[in-house]
Order: sequence, then C-alpha cells, then structure tokens
Amino acid sequence: MPAVIRAKCIVVGDAGVGKSAICQLFTSDGSHFPKNYTLTMGAEFMVKPVVIPDTQDTVEMYMYDSAGKEIFTDMVMKFWDHPSMMIVVYDVTSETSFSSCEKWIERVRSQKPDVPFPGALVANKIDLEQRRIVGPKAGKELAMKTGLDYYECSAKEMQNVDTPFYFLASEYYKLYQEKVELFKAFVA
Amino acid sequence: MFDLALSEAGAQIILATSSDDKYPPENMIDGKDDTFWTTCGLYPQEFIIKFTSLVSINTIQISCYNVKKLKMEVSSDDNQAFKTLAEKELQPSDSAPQSEEISGRNVKAMNLRVVIESGYDHFCAVYKICVHGNAERS
Ligand SMILES: Nc1nc2c(ncn2[C@@H]2O[C@H](COP(=O)(O)OP(=O)(O)OP(=O)(O)O)[C@@H](O)[C@H]2O)c(=O)[nH]1
Ligand SMILES: [Mg+2]
Repeated sequence: MPAVIRAKCIVVGDAGVGKSAICQLFTSDGSHFPKNYTLTMGAEFMVKPVVIPDTQDTVEMYMYDSAGKEIFTDMVMKFWDHPSMMIVVYDVTSETSFSSCEKWIERVRSQKPDVPFPGALVANKIDLEQRRIVGPKAGKELAMKTGLDYYECSAKEMQNVDTPFYFLASEYYKLYQEKVELFKAFVA
Repeated sequence: MFDLALSEAGAQIILATSSDDKYPPENMIDGKDDTFWTTCGLYPQEFIIKFTSLVSINTIQISCYNVKKLKMEVSSDDNQAFKTLAEKELQPSDSAPQSEEISGRNVKAMNLRVVIESGYDHFCAVYKICVHGNAERS
C-alpha cells in the first residue's frame, strides 16, 4: 500500500477575495465556481487527495477555508493548531486585501512559531484586468519578503487555481522524505 | 521480567493512525533498534499495543524523535475504557533519538495506548517501545 501523508492547509485572506471559490474549485475538480458571494462564517472544512507525480503516494489535504471577516477571527483561529501549510489569498483589485496579507501570515505562523511550514501567496481575480491595482511585482516582492511562493490565478476563469495546492503538496511530501532520511540516519 | 511488547512474544499493534508501508507500526515492536514507525502528518497520532494476556507493567521505555506531548493509557480488557497512566512533555533532541522511561506502577493492562499529542515537527518517529513486566496469572 502506498503512503498517505496528511496535511492541514489553512486558507486565509480578507473577506471576499475568493478563498471559498478557490477551495471549492480545487476540491470539486473545477466543476464548481460559486458566482454569488456567500460569506464564510467560521471555517469550512474539506478534504482533497493529491497524488504525488512519479510516486504512488498521496498527500491528503485537509483544508480549512477560513472566514475573512474580522468578527470571526477569534473563532476561526481555534481551528488552526498544528498547521502544515498555508495559502494566503488577496484580490488584485483591492489594495486593502493586499496590505492585509502580512497580518494573516503572522496569525497563522503564530500557531507554530518553531516549526517552519510551506506557504503560497495567491493573487486572485486576475480576470479583472481593467480594475487590477496590485501588480505582479508587488506580489512577488511580498512573497519574497514573507518566504512564500507567488501564484496568480482566476477562480472565475478556472485558471491556475490548482497550481499552488499541487506545489504545497509536493513541498510537504519533500519535507516528509527529508525527515524520514533523518530518522534513518540516527540509527544507520 | 520480560519485554512484553515484542511481536515475537505475541504482542500486536491493533491500531495506528499513520501507515507508510515502508515504516510500519510493527517496526516499534520488532525488537530492533534501527527500524521505526513514522507518523504521516497531523496531530494527535496514536497506536495501541495488545498483549497476549493480562500483564502487570513495571516500566515502559520509548525511543522516538520529534515527540513533544506524550500520553500513555491502559485498559485491562477490550471492553474497558482506557485510563491514563502517564502524561509527559519530552525535551527536544537534535542529533539523537529521544529516550524516555515511564513507570508502570505495576498497573494491570491488556492494551496500551500511546498518544502523541504534539510534536516538534510535522512528523515523528518511534523506534522502539519496550514494556517491562510480567504476565498476570489468571
Ligand atoms: N471576477 C472574479 N470574481 C471572483 C473570483 N474569485 C471569486 N470571485 C467572486 O468574489 C466573491 C467572493 O468570493 P468568496 O470565494 O466567497 O470569497 P471569500 O474569500 O471566501 O470570502 P469570505 O468567506 O467572506 O472570507 C464571489 O462573488 C465570487 O464569485 C475571480 O477569480 N474573479
Ligand atoms: Mg469564504
């Protein structure tokens, strides 16, 4: 039997940036884009297995799509213990959502300050070209500064939504393999 | 006294929350120091060892890595609820496995449940668990 590695993926960002849209698209294999905005209250939980290329192993992603509205923050943070990875989303048409990213990153990292974990910064709604305010340069700089990997996507156009998830799954899988090598080295 | 947690002696792992076939939970009770069980992400993680009969536990030794909060529980038969035997916070270790000894206080047990409630990293290893004690006369 192949190995099943499990990861807790915390998805954060301001309200309305498209976190739920991204999560739902990813978990439904691109069949469900929620056109109308239904704000998330608390956290929504979903699971999606990702098969790691060239192996038979799977990373099972336990996703916590967290509410962006501040009033829910204390409540959602209760779900974030032992994070394995994070996805921070902003809306390229909203400067505010972009400047909030560092605050979100801090909040997730404060859960496990001693243990590094992989993360992705996702610029969503790139289909709204005319209204775009936050360019790729600013996004990449923030990603660099905060140690995340930068991605652009449009949940509406179903463009590039899966990429950050696959990236994180494979980073996490690599971490697992590194640790196993370390475990072996102690008794070799 | 014997090591009661040996597969050779009939002990079995009846539950483990992680399983990578390359590093299966049976590696903890195979009597070897150089094989191990890996947890595959998330907390808590646990495993249950079932002894061949009711035993009285003197000490438990565990050799592991990246384990932070550890809890041991016992049940005296399959229909009994588990009772806490010990709760420990292990010190981190950099370059060698952690080694911990827990007093069994001669508690009677048929099953031993070990819960890793948190760790120093995403993944933990348990190399070996030895349960020293005696079989209870029935
Ligand atoms: N144009 C466009 N609209 C999008 C895109 N992604 C999401 N939306 C829309 O943006 C709105 C908000 O999306 P949600 O996914 O609910 O936002 P959220 O981040 O989950 O919001 P909270 O749950 O309140 O934190 C919805 O009306 C979506 O249809 C996108 O890529 N492009
Ligand atoms: Mg939402």
